[in-house]
Amino acid sequence: MKWRRILLNFRVIVLIFFLLISITALATRGLTFGLDISGGISITVKLEKPVDSQTMEQVKIALEQRLNTLGVKNIVVEPWGDQFVIVKVANVTEEEADQLIKTIERQGVFYAEFQGIIFATGKDILNVGSVSYDPQHSAWVVPFRLSKEAAEKFAQLALGKAGYPVDMFLDPPVNSTLVVSNRVYEAMLSKTFMLEGDMTLVERIEKAFGIKVVPYANVTPEEIAEIAKGSERIILLDVDGNLSKALKEMGFEVETRSMRSDEDVYDFIKRSLGLYGPYRVSEGLATGNPSTEVMISITAPKTDIQARQDAQVVSVVLRSGSLPVKLSIERIDYISPKLGENFKRQVLVAGIAALLVVGLIVFLHYRKIKIAIPVMFTSFSEVLIILGIAALIRWNLDLPSIAGIIAAIGTGVDQQIVITDELLGEEESRRRVKRSGVLRRMGRAFFIILASATTTIVAMSFLFKFFVGGLRGFAFTTILGVLVGIFITRPAYGEIAKVLIGERR
Amino acid sequence: MDPKKMIIYPLIVFGIAIIIIIANYVMTGSFVKEGIELRGGSVITLQGVNVSPDEIAKSIKEKTGIDVTVEKFSGVGGSGVRVYVSAGDDVNLVREALKEMFPDVEPQTVVIGPTFGEIVREQGIKAIVYAFIGMAIVVFLFFRVPVPSMTVVFSAFSDMIIAIALMNIFGIELSQATIAALLMLIGYSVDSNILLTTRLLRRKEFTVEEAYYSSLKTGFTMSTTTLGALASLWIFSTAQVIDDIASVLIFGLLADFMNTWILNAGVLRLYIAKREGKE
Repeated sequence: MKWRRILLNFRVIVLIFFLLISITALATRGLTFGLDISGGISITVKLEKPVDSQTMEQVKIALEQRLNTLGVKNIVVEPWGDQFVIVKVANVTEEEADQLIKTIERQGVFYAEFQGIIFATGKDILNVGSVSYDPQHSAWVVPFRLSKEAAEKFAQLALGKAGYPVDMFLDPPVNSTLVVSNRVYEAMLSKTFMLEGDMTLVERIEKAFGIKVVPYANVTPEEIAEIAKGSERIILLDVDGNLSKALKEMGFEVETRSMRSDEDVYDFIKRSLGLYGPYRVSEGLATGNPSTEVMISITAPKTDIQARQDAQVVSVVLRSGSLPVKLSIERIDYISPKLGENFKRQVLVAGIAALLVVGLIVFLHYRKIKIAIPVMFTSFSEVLIILGIAALIRWNLDLPSIAGIIAAIGTGVDQQIVITDELLGEEESRRRVKRSGVLRRMGRAFFIILASATTTIVAMSFLFKFFVGGLRGFAFTTILGVLVGIFITRPAYGEIAKVLIGERR
Repeated sequence: MDPKKMIIYPLIVFGIAIIIIIANYVMTGSFVKEGIELRGGSVITLQGVNVSPDEIAKSIKEKTGIDVTVEKFSGVGGSGVRVYVSAGDDVNLVREALKEMFPDVEPQTVVIGPTFGEIVREQGIKAIVYAFIGMAIVVFLFFRVPVPSMTVVFSAFSDMIIAIALMNIFGIELSQATIAALLMLIGYSVDSNILLTTRLLRRKEFTVEEAYYSSLKTGFTMSTTTLGALASLWIFSTAQVIDDIASVLIFGLLADFMNTWILNAGVLRLYIAKREGKE
């Protein structure tokens, strides 16, 4: 009888409905954890001055391009407000983390190279026009202006060499030795990188940047060490890790890059070298006359979104040698994945302990299991629904978010106690309480709840609005928890309590 | 108890808290000890390390020549040390030295630039001030009577001041986490005050005395459950963010208990007596 009255209530049905959705969401989508739990690095980068959204987008793309050459997986670059960018990478080793930091700290270095000779660097790119489509040549084009010196240098170099390749590099691995697998080596020597020129890519980068390329076939680590003498570092491309260990033991700085599943060997080489191109020298540029107004064109139909994106990237790369603003690292948080695992367990234990403690205290106060169980059940549902919503919208649960959930549970229990006490009423005057009395008491309880919920939401909204860092998570889950409380769980608890407590009379 | 005395004692505590904060300002130049998030600098956390902090500091000094502050922490979830490096020094050197000393421990590193601290401080002050004003407006809108509303706002303010004074005493630093906790305090503090104010002002069938004691009972249950939940957080976690939030909330709740059930109750009783005297 009692159960029927509880279960058939509209508010209880709403609660059950949300519980089911949450369980489904948790089961199918799962929770995503923040870097402070799953492990990883978060780097807060400050721009020298506030910028407009367009510049911010440029900074974002430029950072993405430069960091991508490192070959670290899943780099997320998130603009925050008008002056901050947060770079987040999950599951990185300390070494990778260091590389990321170094790359961001260094200003991007841009080189334009022809026949192994660097003819322009970032400061020679004076102006980059916007990406547009040229229907006449059916190509996406990026116009830019070169400095006079660079233009003259190029004109001399390129005289009579139409069809030869021009390469652009952003942060190439200057002064290093690359140990590459056979397929990578073959690709580097292929026509794709040579076009109609007479120098292979391997020759060009050695001449321009002192990058030595060694195919990894029938060579011992000692032989590689001999070749790599004088190089700043050794980079292994598509080569397994045993070699890395051997070389590290000999005191070399070694980095390993491997091919991603979404790229072919050519893309892999370009990414590892920070190479954009090669671009074919057009007839008009091979006449020996310097021209400062040049453009890079990517032949493709107008509908080709990929080509347009490539052009966009090129325009950012051209600009990045002289990014519109200076970047500085303001904050680095590094957490090893193992440590995060530990935190996750602790938080779980703390959460369960908190729930039990709350249940116990409620029981001690009222001496009625009939009150303690619904209070615990309601709080538990609240956690479940908050987590369910977090799973649905893919909110990253970080430590502050979890603290927020626990804070919300704290206020939640408070409010349930207000309801319970209003319902129980004062012992001595219980006889006077009639049906209308119960309703009025419930009204008063909900007035108190609404007033305190509103203040919490107002206070937390400011935190959410004004903070750059991770504490937005705290504000978010607190607000979410309070909303779930006043709209879903608290009304249901009121109904359950009305039946369970009211029934005694 | 005489309502006037009920008002005096919490005000004395408030005054002492203010004195502690000002004394701290005179001695250190800031109202509350600022953590590295506000000052800038780095902290390297090593979980599971059980070596005396002084020893670690000494050997880092020998290896790198850098002065570091080392602090020990412990909880049910484990213990370890935190190594603080000041803003100008090279964190990587310290980290390498630590790695040599404890090769099996995975360090957690936070590095914060000094200008970032400036921003955090500015944002924190902004967030607290606006939240406070927002809270005051909401409280006034709900009650529409000036004296009780002002008391609610004042006791939230006093909760925060006392919590800050206790932070000074227990050496808890101001950080993003503790700023959030202070903001959260606004919510908690208003909770119990609204309960009391509503019960006393809207009670029809009971005397002030009856309403007060019944609310006190409810308030006591509320505070103990919240304190219980926060204490279990504090005990079971070794993450500093969570520990800091829990301790500041515990300070605030204790202050709130006094401010609600003694200060606010005293003011409300005077107010009701006056109002009923007029009628």
